[in-house]
Amino acid sequence: MVNEVCLRTLDLERPWLMEQYQSRGGYEVLKQVLTEKRAPEAIIEEVKKSGLRGRGGAGFPTGLKWSFISRNAPGQKYVVCNSDEGEPGTFKDRDILRYNPHQLIEGMILAGYAIGATRGYNYIRGEFWEPYERFEQALQEAREAGFLGDNLLGSGFDFDLHTHLGGGAYICGEETALLESIEGKKGQPRYKPPFPAHFGLYGRPTIINNTESLASIPMILEKGGEWFADIGVKNSGGSKLFSISGNINNPGVFEIPMGTPFSELLEMAGGMKDGRKIKAVIPGGSSAPVIPGEQMMDLNMDYDSIAGAGSMLGSGAVIVLDDTNCMVKTLERMSYFYHEESCGQCTPCREGTGWLYRVVHRIESGQGRQEDLDLLDDVADKISGKTICALGDAAALPVQGMLRHYRDEFQYHIDHQRCMVGAG
Amino acid sequence: MNVFKNYFKSLFLLELFRGLSVTGRYLFRKKFTIMYPEEKAPVSPRFRGLHALRRYPNGEERCIACKLCEATCPALAITIEAEPREDGSRRTTRYDIDLFKCIYCGYCQEACPVDAIVETRIYEYHFENRGENIMTKEKLLAVGDKCEAQLAADIEAQAKVR
Amino acid sequence: MTDKLVTIEVNGQELQAEAGIMLIEATDAAGINIPRFCYHKKLSVSANCRMCLVEVEKVPKPLPACATPVSDGMKVYTRSPKALAAQKGTMEFLLINHPLDCPICDQGGECELQDVAIGYGRDVSRYSEGKRVVADKNIGPLIATDMTRCIHCTRCVRFGEEIAGIREMGATGRGEHMVIGTYIEKSVDSELSGNIIDLCPVGALTSKPFRFNARAWELTQVEAIAPHDSLGSNLNLHLRDNKVMRVHPKDNESINETWISDRDRFSYEGLYSSDRLTSPMVKKGGEWKEVSWEMALEMAAASLKEIGDGDQIGTLLAPTSTLEELFLAQKLMRGLGCNNIDSRLRQGDFRMDATQNSVHWLGSSLSDMDQMQTVFVVGGNIRKEQPILAHRLRKAAVNGAKLHYLNPIQIDLNHRGDQDVCTPGEMAGRLAAVAKAAGVKASGGGASLLGAAKVDESAKQTAANLKAADGALVMLGAMAQAHPDYALLHTLAAALAEATGAQLSILPTSANSVGAQLAGAVPHLQAGGTAAERAGLDTLRMLKMPRKGYLLLGVEPGRDFWNGSLSMSALQSADMVVAISAFRSPELEACADIMLPMAIFTETSGTYVNAEGRWQQSRGVVRPQGESRPGWKILRVLGNLTDQPGFDYIDSQQIHDELHKLCESSTLDNKQAEPQNLEPLLSADVLLRGGDTPLYACDPLVRRATALQQTQDAGSDTIRLHPQEAARLGLDGSDTALVKQNGNQIDLPLQLDERIPQGCVWISTGLARTSTLGQPFGEVTVEKA
Repeated sequence: MVNEVCLRTLDLERPWLMEQYQSRGGYEVLKQVLTEKRAPEAIIEEVKKSGLRGRGGAGFPTGLKWSFISRNAPGQKYVVCNSDEGEPGTFKDRDILRYNPHQLIEGMILAGYAIGATRGYNYIRGEFWEPYERFEQALQEAREAGFLGDNLLGSGFDFDLHTHLGGGAYICGEETALLESIEGKKGQPRYKPPFPAHFGLYGRPTIINNTESLASIPMILEKGGEWFADIGVKNSGGSKLFSISGNINNPGVFEIPMGTPFSELLEMAGGMKDGRKIKAVIPGGSSAPVIPGEQMMDLNMDYDSIAGAGSMLGSGAVIVLDDTNCMVKTLERMSYFYHEESCGQCTPCREGTGWLYRVVHRIESGQGRQEDLDLLDDVADKISGKTICALGDAAALPVQGMLRHYRDEFQYHIDHQRCMVGAG
Repeated sequence: MNVFKNYFKSLFLLELFRGLSVTGRYLFRKKFTIMYPEEKAPVSPRFRGLHALRRYPNGEERCIACKLCEATCPALAITIEAEPREDGSRRTTRYDIDLFKCIYCGYCQEACPVDAIVETRIYEYHFENRGENIMTKEKLLAVGDKCEAQLAADIEAQAKVR
Repeated sequence: MTDKLVTIEVNGQELQAEAGIMLIEATDAAGINIPRFCYHKKLSVSANCRMCLVEVEKVPKPLPACATPVSDGMKVYTRSPKALAAQKGTMEFLLINHPLDCPICDQGGECELQDVAIGYGRDVSRYSEGKRVVADKNIGPLIATDMTRCIHCTRCVRFGEEIAGIREMGATGRGEHMVIGTYIEKSVDSELSGNIIDLCPVGALTSKPFRFNARAWELTQVEAIAPHDSLGSNLNLHLRDNKVMRVHPKDNESINETWISDRDRFSYEGLYSSDRLTSPMVKKGGEWKEVSWEMALEMAAASLKEIGDGDQIGTLLAPTSTLEELFLAQKLMRGLGCNNIDSRLRQGDFRMDATQNSVHWLGSSLSDMDQMQTVFVVGGNIRKEQPILAHRLRKAAVNGAKLHYLNPIQIDLNHRGDQDVCTPGEMAGRLAAVAKAAGVKASGGGASLLGAAKVDESAKQTAANLKAADGALVMLGAMAQAHPDYALLHTLAAALAEATGAQLSILPTSANSVGAQLAGAVPHLQAGGTAAERAGLDTLRMLKMPRKGYLLLGVEPGRDFWNGSLSMSALQSADMVVAISAFRSPELEACADIMLPMAIFTETSGTYVNAEGRWQQSRGVVRPQGESRPGWKILRVLGNLTDQPGFDYIDSQQIHDELHKLCESSTLDNKQAEPQNLEPLLSADVLLRGGDTPLYACDPLVRRATALQQTQDAGSDTIRLHPQEAARLGLDGSDTALVKQNGNQIDLPLQLDERIPQGCVWISTGLARTSTLGQPFGEVTVEKA
């Protein structure tokens, strides 16, 4: 049951080519939908049935998101793909762009068909040069084959797709900041509501989905929503790409069904490096709260099970830490990231992320004070839920998670001005 | 009975002797009369005498023309005018204290965020001409320069309780 | 917005609010205070300061009141523990990087951050790391920056985008490194830029002329009316020690909303110019001597009487004078038999006076301006003439109105609009083309032009837009009024307006341009705005046919006139010039024989009638400087000394009331009684001078405001011309050129500018050197220096 959906062509030679994709039945669904003139409502219904949830991190049901757009509203509508994969630990979308770009293109065309949009944009992270070139090449092929442009396959449906290379800001992975960036403005999230479904790109109704979500669409429509839902477990349909990294033998991207036990995933990734003891796992990218290793070994990789442990599945970026890792140092790195990447719009995030980093840095470098842990807790609490976008929460959650499970390690740093790990 | 007692008291001048005993006690004690102006009474570091404007050790005047002293002065004795100095910093062009109005309450010193306006231990001064009651910026700075060592020590001594 | 009302509950108090408005608007209306920094009623909602977070029942997170629409049955708690915790949290974050320099900050005492910190801040900071420091930028002579104090509310950024219409300020950098500033190192040049000083909630943007001069708590606030443009913006003057320290806007939704132009804000500096006239002076043997008021007044009265023939006197009044001064001046002079009275000093053509018997005005109320659907501006750079009016036009344009401009120079617009640029000589022809496209018949006024006009696509478009609009204006701006064929332009515009159903608008150029007509300070109208019994000479004829004596009120020879050199020669040749003036300029000293010091602006009470005909009174709030006296008092005594009845006024209110009574039946109307058939005076096929009056060169007070004079809008003594025109004239490569007009000549620096049409050189009027030349539109030669 691995590599069933987004990476289904991975075993082929040069899988990013059109002919290879078509050899696995690629673009067949699109042809079918366009020639049959399948009702857009039916497509949305099928996606709803599949239980597909947004793969970018928030896990919002994709079908539901699409149904917010009124298909018959006059004027321009847009499909936007969010390939601005910036969350530390996440590296799955780039593999779709590199190895299966055509499936994403097909998914976006189908999404456009479903909501009545005739333009699509794929916002690719600025640092992704190779994926960008692969995707551009795939667009070229698709355009030549008549899958993009006006009057696709004689159906009367127009759809064209463009790439937009970002400038490398993490915040542009936030959907409204991404839209601002495409519009040529400074990448800063917009206040919601209104949501992009009503007021999106250039003020028009827009759906914006993660690369993996859109790349899953062709398979859902080919084999049916129920087939997709059945791969996974209740509330977490389908399979998912997990990018697993950290102190393990074989880091990489694995497409496995939702609900697979973490222990199996760890095994696939070659187990712990040098046979060391697992200490902690960050299950969903750097903004997800940390889960202690022993607890994680009993959990399954699906939304509910991870949420039950007080964290989130997020983008499926699993970071494994072993007993040589210092948690203070780890948090310092993460806090620095959010401090650097805050867009500067809202006060709590602009000022608070820097404060968090400075306090953690102080503790790490042996200058911690007794009141610092309470201060960290308090500052994190004052950031979370007070900002326009989720970056504030993302900066606060790792701090809160770390303090919940590893407070003693921080306390040791403060008391002894040195690290517990390796102290001996 | 009372009448009798009072008669007895007045007849023997008892009250007088009681009074003289106090006089006698002090007559033989150590004297605390100060031979002013040859001798001076000790002065508290909190003494509020003539005003002064202080400078930083590098010679830069402290006053930044925030006008908080002017605002807090209950007697409206302070008048300040300010404008940007050539280097762009905020400085007074006029700092007058009318000593006829001043009630020496020390609020100006309390309000000052940079310890510029202070009240010195000087209490011996007089005016001979109309207008001398106005302490101008130059006069205040001159007083400050003269007393700087004492002022710095006094402020240091008071730092803990202020 | 719907008019539907919803009921919400705030802190247990029930409120009715219009559906769809934001929570903070509802609470503001009810007097419930929610702290805020980024929210401003006139700007878009950005919800980024997070200070206005409140608790809303059934919502887990606190919501920003500025971005949360009210909904029926909503229960809001602005001071619940959860709301307070959120507000205090934000306050702490705002303060960690804010410097503790309140004692040297000009905003101290009127700072929104200080105020809110009292209520929501801690007494001790928990932040012990170094604070952020930002390098200051020099953004021009008006606004001082201390960007370290910035709290990134982005009000100034949004003001630039939404109100001023030019993006001058912006945020660069991310996170803590985000810095508000100009995108590249440049000054902020908007004519409304001073408003960001008021908008800035902290001391990051403060007034440069006011820098360190006074504290907020020392100032007394009094009201006044702005004396420059024709809007009569409402002002709050801040006084200390009998001196105007600064000027702020006073909210008046139907005039200036919450804004004022930089001219109104910073012109107060001119009051304290070193060349204020502070005592009466008399010229004796070429030497100026200070004399007593009695002597000066008696001499002035005697010399006016001495001329004997009233027709030999010319009366030139500044249109920025108060209504009372204008009324008394004309009453005095008409009483002396002088009908030569005018206040239209910069108008270029008076041929329609003969057929005009009504008061010209804006043609619409100011608040209707932003509802207009089409506006056709002829000869006007409204942004650089009347900035607040331009803001209203911009609002109309943003709402979808079509704006068309016909100008002898390409102007910088801050909104969408079509520009038709032609030489000054072609303007009447182009206007005729639009009129022809609208179906105006070639008879009556401008017949020959209408006959010859070629209707092109843009003329058709303009005419069609005027016709299609529900609410349209044809507006004659200052450049049209200064045009030698203004009467013709006026006739054509009137015909066009009538044919298209649009309103004709004659933009009054000065604070009391409408008032002057009502007061009878024009040769063809008498007090009350009705036709004069005996019309006198207009400004141009008074100067072309020099009089023996002149009375000047607030007028500076040279720089205040349409034709500077003509005004100088006419006034210098007169036997007697009595000048009532607030300032002494070398030009005035050269022309005048008696100078009487006058109090202006804040020093005298008076009335201004604005463009829409609204009477606004202001009081004298500071003592006149030196010996100067309010103009109405000077004129009153002159009336007494010339033995005229009806000059026994006790206060200016009496004068106001007398005139107001006269004006009861007056109407404002831009139509001509009977259009004349006029021929163009300006030839189209010679090299022509074009010229505007720069924004800060318009009146004596502004010309003395030092900070304003350092800005770009102060104008420069240069010749601007198209590069190809320069090549044609053999001037390419030269830095200066010799310009000759009406027999006067000067050397001026050359500046190549593609916005100037070919066949035209651009030399602004009202400046120190250019005012020695002639009229702004006319024949000129330019050659190598």
